[in-house]
Amino acid sequence: MTSEQNQSVYSDATQAKGEAVIELTDVDKFFGDFQALADINMNIGAQEVIVVIGPSGSGKSTLIRCINRLEKHDRGTIVVDGIELSDDIKNIQEIRRETGMVFQSFNLFPHLTVIDNITLAPRQVRHESKDSAEETAMQLLERVGIPEQARKFPGQLSGGQQQRVAIARSLAMKPKVMLFDEPTSALDPEMIKEVLDVMIELAEGGMTMIVVTHEMGFARAVADRVVFMADGYIVEVGTPEHFFTNPQEERTKLFLSQIL
Amino acid sequence: MTVVAPAPPRETSLDWVKRNLFRNWWSGLITVILLPLSLYLGYRALRFFFVTGQWDAVRVNLTLFMQGTFPRDEQWRLISQIVIFALAFGIGLGTNSAASHDRADDAGLEIENGSIAGTLARMWSLVAFIALLLFFATTDDVGDFINPFLVVGGAIVAAAIGYQARRLPRRFRNVGWVLTMTFLVIGFQVVSGFDAGGWVPLSIVYGSVAFGAVPVERFDSTWVRLLLRLVALAVVVFAIRAIYAAVDSPGIGWDVWSGLHLTLMVSAIAIVLAFPLGLLLALARRSTLPALRVMATVYIEVIRGVPLITLLFMGQFILGFLLPAGTVLSAVSRAIAVMTLFSAAYMAEIVRGGLQALPRGQTEAGQAMGMAPPTIMRRIILPQALTAVIPAMVGQFIALFKDSSLLSIIAILEFLGVRKIIHAQADFRSIGFAETLVFVAIGYWAFAFAMSRESQRLERRLRVTR
Repeated sequence: MTSEQNQSVYSDATQAKGEAVIELTDVDKFFGDFQALADINMNIGAQEVIVVIGPSGSGKSTLIRCINRLEKHDRGTIVVDGIELSDDIKNIQEIRRETGMVFQSFNLFPHLTVIDNITLAPRQVRHESKDSAEETAMQLLERVGIPEQARKFPGQLSGGQQQRVAIARSLAMKPKVMLFDEPTSALDPEMIKEVLDVMIELAEGGMTMIVVTHEMGFARAVADRVVFMADGYIVEVGTPEHFFTNPQEERTKLFLSQIL
Repeated sequence: MTVVAPAPPRETSLDWVKRNLFRNWWSGLITVILLPLSLYLGYRALRFFFVTGQWDAVRVNLTLFMQGTFPRDEQWRLISQIVIFALAFGIGLGTNSAASHDRADDAGLEIENGSIAGTLARMWSLVAFIALLLFFATTDDVGDFINPFLVVGGAIVAAAIGYQARRLPRRFRNVGWVLTMTFLVIGFQVVSGFDAGGWVPLSIVYGSVAFGAVPVERFDSTWVRLLLRLVALAVVVFAIRAIYAAVDSPGIGWDVWSGLHLTLMVSAIAIVLAFPLGLLLALARRSTLPALRVMATVYIEVIRGVPLITLLFMGQFILGFLLPAGTVLSAVSRAIAVMTLFSAAYMAEIVRGGLQALPRGQTEAGQAMGMAPPTIMRRIILPQALTAVIPAMVGQFIALFKDSSLLSIIAILEFLGVRKIIHAQADFRSIGFAETLVFVAIGYWAFAFAMSRESQRLERRLRVTR
């Protein structure tokens, strides 16, 4: 299967309906000789929730890590909120401030309390005053349901609580887009729900989200579009309904048959 | 009906001996060989200490060991300095522990509670050393006699005062640090006279110390913060300049300090200076700028490949050529410079190890929120990396402290070097060599052991609050 077929068949589905917040055009990414992303063309509209699925090594994580420049793409253009990603550090910083990211392994700062984890970036980057940053932080903790843990250290919390703090920490920068890199993969099964609930609430609140996940239930319930990736290509894009009930590509069918 | 398991039979002392000393034939053999040997060595050591040892060489020269050849009439200056430093140390300690207690309380964590008795028990090697001093002291050495008590008492009282800083509102917290700094500055000036550097630098010193109380972070404007930081930097530079003028002044500055006093000062100063330098070197070695990286790497590898004693000699004989003509540096200043530069190279490698051990995700989390690389380094990476390498760093500090004895080879009369004057005295020209050496060894051990114990505690405490 070539990328041209790919584009011709699905060019409609890769375009956002409204105004695009993120535009990826002909994006390629290599790790040495290995092509991690190939001919990625995709628009993501405001308030849209995109769920990216695919086998491991298919480039899902690389895709969202390119959007905030944790990885540098080799070809093509990435435009976030009207700003094109370039080597200019100012551009990169600006885009990173607009995009929050939640990691598989939480990446909370273990030496800081929960509230300090959340207020660090607003205070350092946006130069908010301590009081106002802490007020925002408490509101966010309220929203993710753990205000009573504010003065604890990450090591004292359960995995689910840590991931919810990580989400609050990203939200504290008031991002326009949230990127989730397998946010529930490192969690014990009984904690997955509490994190997904927060994400669902976030989606219902109108946040633009790109979520890499293996949680098909979440994809079905929340996603506006589901993106299936394999070997660095976008193989198929569609609404959850179309995607889960009537997939077109053999590769997609094979994948779905393996996981469902 | 519940069945109660019979309690295991109580272990008799005979069982203990059997289990620990004669478990099988080879452990029995080792016991049979080592037990008499250690008993014999212990007997010889005690006999040397209490019966055969000619301790007069130590007893008579106790003041010389402690404060060296400093003019007798001016001795109160050194005594005051040590006491004032003890106050500074105590207040710093108290403030620090108050802060970490608050954080732990907030997080609902149990934290090891320090008591005075506990501290003394932890520092038992120093207590034992003081007891040894008392054992040797004669009524002539009133200074030495009183000094340890003033120091220990002062440090404890000051720590208690610092700890009370908990009761202050948090934004006045750095009052504790300001007091610490003030005492440090006064400590140096008490030796050199309060106008050694002239009044202008002097007022700047105290100004800068007071400046430490300004909560820079609380100003909202970036420019105001930048300006305040620049002012702070400038006053720190002037403060160091003024302190240096004070300590390097001829006649009473550190060139005429000697004995244990000099050993402690030289090690403390070299440790304090080597730490930031090593940190900068470690960062430079990881820099993305090739020139910086290569320079740091070359520096570190060259210094680490050369023996300290070689560098000390080079410091005495070659450093002069490298400095601008007319610069006068006392022998002690050169030695401190060399020890600082030497330790910094090792410190850099230790810090680098800590930096490398941190998972990449920490940096990425900072980046993803748009934080600038220096901020990520300062707020996220360094606090964790430095905590992780505390044991290695204290190990390096202890090595530096012990290595300061090499200064005796370049004719600086520190703790070990004082023996040269003692055995030049007519009374001790041919006796007491072993005794003075043992005394010096005990002194070094007491401090090194205390440092190592303190680092273990620090490590435990930092692990709790993370």
